[in-house]
Amino acid sequence: MAAQREVKKTLCRQCDDRCGIEVHLEDGRIVDIRPNKDHPWNRGRVCVKARAVIDMVYHADRILTPLKRTDSGWQEIPLDQALDEIAARLTEIAGRHGRRSVSVWKGEAVGFMQQEDIARRFIHAFGSPNYLSNDSACWTSGHIAYSLVDGAWPVPDFEHADCIVVWGTNPVASHPNVNQLITIARRKGAPLIVVDPRLSESARRADLHVPVRPGTDGALAWGLAHLFIENGTYDKEFVERHTVGFPQAAEYARAFTPEFVEKETGVAAATVRAMAQMMAAAAPRVTVYVDSGLEHHENGVNNIRAVAMLDAFLGSLDVEGGNRLFDDPPLRGLTLYEELPLRDLGPLGADRFPVLYDFRQECHTMTALAAILDDDPYPLRAMIMTAANPVLTNPNTTRMVRALEALDLLVVRDLFMTETAELADYVLPAASFLERAELHAHTKYQILNLTQRVIGWPDAQDEYTFWHDLAARLGMGEYFPWEDETGLDRWLLEGSGITLEQLAAHPEGFPYAPLRTRRWEEDGLATPSGKVELTCRYLKDFGYDELPVYRSPAYLAEPDPAYPFVLMTGARKLVYLASRFRNIARFRTAVPDPEVEMHPEDAASLGVADGDAVRITSRIGALEICVKVRARNEILPGVLQITHGWREANVNLITHDDRFDPVSGFPLMKSMTVRVEKVAG
Amino acid sequence: MTRIVAVDPDSCVACRQCEYACAFRRTGDFNRSASHIRVSFYPEERACVPVTCMHCGDAWCLEICPGGAISQDPETGAVTIDETRCAGCKMCLLACPYGNIHFDASQGVSQKCDLCEGDPACVVVCGSGALRFLEPDEAVESRRESVDVVLRRALRLDKGGK
Repeated sequence: MAAQREVKKTLCRQCDDRCGIEVHLEDGRIVDIRPNKDHPWNRGRVCVKARAVIDMVYHADRILTPLKRTDSGWQEIPLDQALDEIAARLTEIAGRHGRRSVSVWKGEAVGFMQQEDIARRFIHAFGSPNYLSNDSACWTSGHIAYSLVDGAWPVPDFEHADCIVVWGTNPVASHPNVNQLITIARRKGAPLIVVDPRLSESARRADLHVPVRPGTDGALAWGLAHLFIENGTYDKEFVERHTVGFPQAAEYARAFTPEFVEKETGVAAATVRAMAQMMAAAAPRVTVYVDSGLEHHENGVNNIRAVAMLDAFLGSLDVEGGNRLFDDPPLRGLTLYEELPLRDLGPLGADRFPVLYDFRQECHTMTALAAILDDDPYPLRAMIMTAANPVLTNPNTTRMVRALEALDLLVVRDLFMTETAELADYVLPAASFLERAELHAHTKYQILNLTQRVIGWPDAQDEYTFWHDLAARLGMGEYFPWEDETGLDRWLLEGSGITLEQLAAHPEGFPYAPLRTRRWEEDGLATPSGKVELTCRYLKDFGYDELPVYRSPAYLAEPDPAYPFVLMTGARKLVYLASRFRNIARFRTAVPDPEVEMHPEDAASLGVADGDAVRITSRIGALEICVKVRARNEILPGVLQITHGWREANVNLITHDDRFDPVSGFPLMKSMTVRVEKVAG
Repeated sequence: MTRIVAVDPDSCVACRQCEYACAFRRTGDFNRSASHIRVSFYPEERACVPVTCMHCGDAWCLEICPGGAISQDPETGAVTIDETRCAGCKMCLLACPYGNIHFDASQGVSQKCDLCEGDPACVVVCGSGALRFLEPDEAVESRRESVDVVLRRALRLDKGGK
């Protein structure tokens, strides 16, 4: 009999791009992943990670049965027994140390947004304020910085731009589809400017590559502001009507002459001028795309605020071809912050990083470790982690491992036995994105999507069912009244005028609101003043800088001869995402080994060549890794780059969990100092 | 319909997805050397050079093949090698001016792009859109547009105005 063939349309969630895909099945087994040609985001293309879904979901190492740590190793146990035992342990620990001694930690290996809010709801209903996540070191810094200035983090309108600035990110590796959109604009003549200490893949086709020293982006942004003001090429009407703080900003910008910027950033004054001219010539259709390259610095939030400010000078905020605001998807909120206030319960890190907590109700993971290790300010004893792998992704791995080992109870839900899961008391199978029906929004196009449960395994619970079943055992069932994830999806859509059936009928996305621009004209912005805040009273009230003040990174301000190199970490590789996918064999063929990227002059002075091992030491720790010598124009001299997520050479063994951006609490991971020695071999 | 894989070096970033996808279709792995499409990156010039078979109308590889193993599909224009008829003489490798045919020593046969039965895998995964599967007329049109764009961009910048 011929095989039964079927095609199901859903979204890929190998990364946050969430491309429209067709899943091709034969007798219920996935045999191919193809692009959904109708989806506006990926437009008939998908990257190689999408096809690797098959490798991932059917991987021989996939965890499909609950595991319990015993003296004689991992023991397979029934799911009901695992949930019963976990619930009993949580109750016991909460009884002994208080409810806030229990926490959840959300990762992103199975998804976020809806999954995040269910986890928040669970721990909140349990009576603990301790919601932790990978967002202590990813995305949040940019979100806070842009929101302080604009009231939201705008989405770049690449395809309509007359000039594109890609700043501190390499979308070729991190958001592959952005490149299609850049191509559309470039084919219409828009120049591409890439600001990056490396000549990244994205920078290869840049019309202007701006190789800024790590962490000095704020000086470059102020330098551009200086030129816009000096040359009179800023949008005077927009600035006058829709910003606050222009006089102070203009005064502060005076010092940032191209020559000063050159001294600080290493970028030639002529290049700074060329960049300003290209942007001003295209205004207001200039889109500036900032991402995590600016986040992991001690002055990260201010640097990003300074870049965000440029949209106002160019008049490019929320106009076609600029940086556009968006309407939030019309989904009901799952969190309980209004029903059950919990600020008085002392969320970990909220006092130390009040803006982080205020914006995101996000505890600070690196601060929370002190609660585990030193009962400071109170004991944290249990953690349920959903598809996070902080052993490879959080800074200072040694301390991270020590903390996880010190917990009375660690439960990890994941697809695979990760470095973090290896430390758990229970490892529970998680459902991959093809095993869950959830709501997704592409705010750029203001569309909603419903994903499909294409395959499934009995014990690999979807996110909702897991929290629901655990909540029921803890007497919190009232907070999880929906029968299943579809019931939850239906509730989330209530009042939106959009039905699940409509979404199911539109796998290319269903518009939830018509696209519009120029919200500043009538609505005002979601900032306290309703305007673009070049100066921020809110931050000032917390004791922070009112202006996005620039501060030299420590390696420039106080060079330490014992640690002469500047290390950046975390540049993405296209086939991997953070610590994921190293277990997919053909990806290892493509990108086989960890490496430290180095300038040829540095390699020569160290006496090393491609493949030679070096020892890299910071004030936190040391690791050994092999050298990859880049071309002279591919990385700055004195600057190194190591991609994180490798078990074999885990760069987070040497990153800082003791030096932070003061506003967001983001750790120093991209402009840290190290020394390098050749390993005799 | 005789569509070709049109390459636009100005949009290519040498991310290598096309090489991975082609190699995967042939071998199940991401070994770039097994790919029919080839992308070179020269950092000094910042040049990305994607090269793949153009399925020439007057294909030298086809003409020179003594075994008649190479043929052109009259409908799709795809120039393909019938491996069962390939004697492994390597004349086609020498004949192709672009180096778009390679030799599989393990099987003793020449191999080349076959356009994936009308749905080239390299195009599907091309995240920058540098590769497009186009009719020759469309390819010419888009090339003309891209030449104009390069000129427009240069002229605009030199003049320093809008």
